[in-house]
Amino acid sequence: MARASGDEEALAVAFAAHERWAFARAYREYASLLYSVAYNVLSNSEEAQDCVADAIARLWRSPSAYSSGRGSLRSFLVVCVRNEAISRRRRQSRRLRLEERLAAMPVEHQELEVADPIERDRVRRAFAKLPDDQRAAVALAFYEGKTHTEIASELNAPLGTIKSRISHGLRKIAASLGSEGGER
Amino acid sequence: MTDAHFGERAALYALGALDATESAALEAHLRVCAECAKLVGEAERDVDTIASLETRRRAPEALTNRVERLLAPARQPQAPWRFAAVAAAFLIGILPSAYLWERNRVMQDAMLSQSAAMDRLATTAHRTASFRPAGGALAADVMYPSDGSWYVIVVRGASHALHVAWMHDGAQTMLGDVVPHGRVAMLYLPKSHRMEQLALMDGPRVVAQAQLPY
Ligand SMILES: [Zn+2]
Repeated sequence: MARASGDEEALAVAFAAHERWAFARAYREYASLLYSVAYNVLSNSEEAQDCVADAIARLWRSPSAYSSGRGSLRSFLVVCVRNEAISRRRRQSRRLRLEERLAAMPVEHQELEVADPIERDRVRRAFAKLPDDQRAAVALAFYEGKTHTEIASELNAPLGTIKSRISHGLRKIAASLGSEGGER
Repeated sequence: MTDAHFGERAALYALGALDATESAALEAHLRVCAECAKLVGEAERDVDTIASLETRRRAPEALTNRVERLLAPARQPQAPWRFAAVAAAFLIGILPSAYLWERNRVMQDAMLSQSAAMDRLATTAHRTASFRPAGGALAADVMYPSDGSWYVIVVRGASHALHVAWMHDGAQTMLGDVVPHGRVAMLYLPKSHRMEQLALMDGPRVVAQAQLPY
């Protein structure tokens, strides 16, 4: 998925060194990906744009947030934007909690919104391969933006157990998506 | 893997499953811990793998223009006067005088490596509180603005890295490590919430504590 080419590595090094051109180039390179990641959490274009702009501004103001030892710059940016989007959604939902509760129906984990039906299927299969307890924990984190504390209370399991379910589950899904990617 | 490290919380961070305080603490720790940075990097790659398969949309032009404006070079010249401003900050005693004599130079080097901390100290009004050591030759201060939105912790006389912990409600939250450069060690927490009590820890042992008035 995010295999680093020489270009990407050079960009990552310059980004870590807080070079202005590297920030601009990284944005251009990943603009649609980052916007999509924000949109998929927030379901609103204005909010998603604010979110991406704020995330980039925050990184620009805080020079040492990324180091190339961390790994892929692209993945780092995806997570930055996604985390910013999730905390926005949490702030919103704290405001709307009461109304939401009244309106909420018992929700099955929503169908994954994936454009390409083949890819949609790949993600679904990857989730399906997990043991039930890991699948539930990862899905609540990834699709519903819940905190580990909320997930622990929802699944009625100790925090430590939830942490390792999420950690192992995430690793397995990504590994199975990665290996399938090569075969198909 | 000790308590100061983040282990399985790397995946939680990458999935956005930590709360704001925990995320801020982890981000601060990643600045000083290559081991955890690598773990988080791996988890970020995993999340990227899944997130990349979700619906794609084209970034609106308005967003692109906005980001380009954001990253456009500032108008005023930067380097020389800013350096002078920091030097002046040292001289007029923004940093406690105990640090100035003898180690000014070492201090400045450490500060320069933390250009963001430097900007903050040079340009923003802040308070200074001292840590009370539990014994030994440690001298440490924390500088912070009145809204508690950032912290710079400076330690002198530490022979090795110490953990910085936020003490609250009978609990400790690890915020990161102060790592010595020469005889000065510092930790910059650029984005924080207000904290009333901090501790320096050598492994599990509290070696100094500070009360932060606001
Ligand atoms: Zn660590």
